[in-house]
Amino acid sequence: MPASQSAPYDSAAPADAERLQWALRSVDALPRRRDQLLPALLVAQHALGWLPRAAIEHAAAHIRVPVSEVYATATGYSELLLERPTPGTWHVCTGVSCDLAGGRALLDAVSEALPGHALEIDCQFLCALAPVAVDDAERLHGRVTPSRILDAATERAST
Amino acid sequence: MIGPTPTQALRRLHDALGAPPGEVEVHVLRHRGTCGDAVDAAAITLDVGAPVADAACDGACWAAPAATVVRPGHRHRFARLDRGVPDELAACVRGECDEPQAGSGEAGLTVRLGRNDGSLTDVLTRGGYGAYAVAAMLQPARILEVLRGVGLTGRGGAHFPVATKWGLLAAHEHPEKVLVVNAEEGEPGVFKDRHLLEGDPHRLVEGMLIACRATGIHEAYVYINGQARNGRDAFERALADAAAAGILDGTAFGGDPVTIEVRSGAGGYVCGEESVILNSIEGERPVPRFKPPFATDSGLWGRPTLINNAETLCAVTTIFDSPPPPTKLLPLSGDVPRPGLYEVPVDGNMTWASVLAMAGVAPARVQALLLGGPSGRFVLPEEFDTPLEMRTLGAGGTVVLGPRADIAAITRSLAAYNARESCGECTPCREGTQRLVQLLADPATNRDRIDALIEVMTEASLCALGGMAGRHVTSALAAFPDAFEVTDPTEASR
Ligand SMILES: Cc1cc2nc3c(=O)[nH]c(=O)nc-3n(C[C@H](O)[C@H](O)[C@H](O)COP(=O)(O)O)c2cc1C
Ligand code: SF4
Ligand code: FES
Repeated sequence: MPASQSAPYDSAAPADAERLQWALRSVDALPRRRDQLLPALLVAQHALGWLPRAAIEHAAAHIRVPVSEVYATATGYSELLLERPTPGTWHVCTGVSCDLAGGRALLDAVSEALPGHALEIDCQFLCALAPVAVDDAERLHGRVTPSRILDAATERAST
Repeated sequence: MIGPTPTQALRRLHDALGAPPGEVEVHVLRHRGTCGDAVDAAAITLDVGAPVADAACDGACWAAPAATVVRPGHRHRFARLDRGVPDELAACVRGECDEPQAGSGEAGLTVRLGRNDGSLTDVLTRGGYGAYAVAAMLQPARILEVLRGVGLTGRGGAHFPVATKWGLLAAHEHPEKVLVVNAEEGEPGVFKDRHLLEGDPHRLVEGMLIACRATGIHEAYVYINGQARNGRDAFERALADAAAAGILDGTAFGGDPVTIEVRSGAGGYVCGEESVILNSIEGERPVPRFKPPFATDSGLWGRPTLINNAETLCAVTTIFDSPPPPTKLLPLSGDVPRPGLYEVPVDGNMTWASVLAMAGVAPARVQALLLGGPSGRFVLPEEFDTPLEMRTLGAGGTVVLGPRADIAAITRSLAAYNARESCGECTPCREGTQRLVQLLADPATNRDRIDALIEVMTEASLCALGGMAGRHVTSALAAFPDAFEVTDPTEASR
């Protein structure tokens, strides 16, 4: 399956150790060339939802570059996550168009209702459907209202 | 090389692929894509007595979730179906409707957006690969000549003449020169390349093939924004279909074989800068390279490299149209009733006032437009009646700022954005963008220092992120000097 087809983080998936093995095997499937470094980081993150040190070290060994260089590269990309994301977190866009449509108020409302589960994010390129929020499976939601996020959170808690 | 005439080649391909669905049968297109899916278009039930097919967003993002009824000679888009599916939709299916709704453009780059199921057969019936069928028969020098006559310029922001860049590549004898398509689209407020990828991926394939033909390139990389998953999937499907139909290896139309590889980005505004893309593909740190050498001489792995924006290459498919429509895609959002993707003719008659009218906003309700996001400037109402010029449009991202928009807050947030996105590789931008944020706490007191700082950043930054980071600030201070109040007195006195 191409890396792009399914959402990268599914909290209902198998346990961490198994996922890590899957991630490392996906890295191993790539050619051992420098130009496969970003693809390696992307497949690992796709499998794990983020990039733990074990995945970084494995990518470094596979591509044959120093771990420090892999970190130097990985930190240059805003979408590569070096810390484990908190499940159930919503990212609310506060770009210019979303802000005009109440993005900041939405962020405040979600922060208040779901403490620790609301983060600010820059433009998600869906400005015509502002305000925009992203769920923890990286799905985009447009014309978002606080109640829509809270309903989704409630639904999630009950399943 | 003498090849088949385009009509023959095209006809043969049509025959091989079977009869196109065309518009003979009444059917309903449900607009999904990223826009539709973000507002649950999949959940809309369309039980209206006609087959329903999924299609991409047609550029009318404001209408999502939407569906278009297609009858012979008739198309009618029904908007905002989340508010209920109107009886008129079923009536339209039955033929009891004579109100053909204008969708996106009738010619140009958006003509196929959301108007078909994206299949190759359907694309071919709607003019797809017609330009490549012609180009494949022409000598490369002749394609360049046509291009030069059209005067097409880059749509990625820098407005560089396409024929000039292609000419530089054509002049290189290097056997492994490459094409890199910039579909990173990381500028806040821009969502045009995503629509093209999702809604008409074959157009990009066609433009790439024309570019390769004109420059003698046989190897191409398409660098797609990592979050644009639907666009990437649609493009990969189109590539597979084109390959299966013999379009990429020269079987269908003649021309040399071209290999095309897709690469995903992973975010960051600077990752759309062309030399950053080269580093990214090579697996190096995503920071800009010093220039010269320019990519046209020494780019990907040191080879001569042609880098064009995705919209630029899509626009290339119109160069044989007579007369070629000089259009630009404008992603429009903000305080506007009908935000979405507009394709406007930049023909000397089009004004911002007419663009605003299309989107349903009265110019009197607009303080300014933000054109070009964090690298952009504010367009004031006194400019609304002057004709649009391609060179002033950048990538086209336009945010309408209504009467309640807080210009100072927007300026500060754009400055903060640039400071966050600065890659840190050069001092003027790494330090300057941070300092600019501090000085903007009290622009009145700091005005001289702001101007001096912006001058240094503009002159001495390694890439245009730093080089243009002061542009919106200068623009805001000139146009809205009274908008800025001191936010933090301790910052201001530093
Ligand atoms: C910070 C920065 C971001 C850029 N982002 C993009 C982008 O997302 N897409 C793009 O096509 N060009 C972008 N560019 C411009 C490219 O460097 C380059 O000029 C362009 O891809 C050339 O293609 P064109 O001649 O077809 O316009 C960016 C430039 C800078 C300095
Ligand atoms: S101008 Fe900014 S983004 Fe560009 S190289 Fe310098 S620090 Fe990096
Ligand atoms: S500003 Fe929120 S999606 Fe662009």
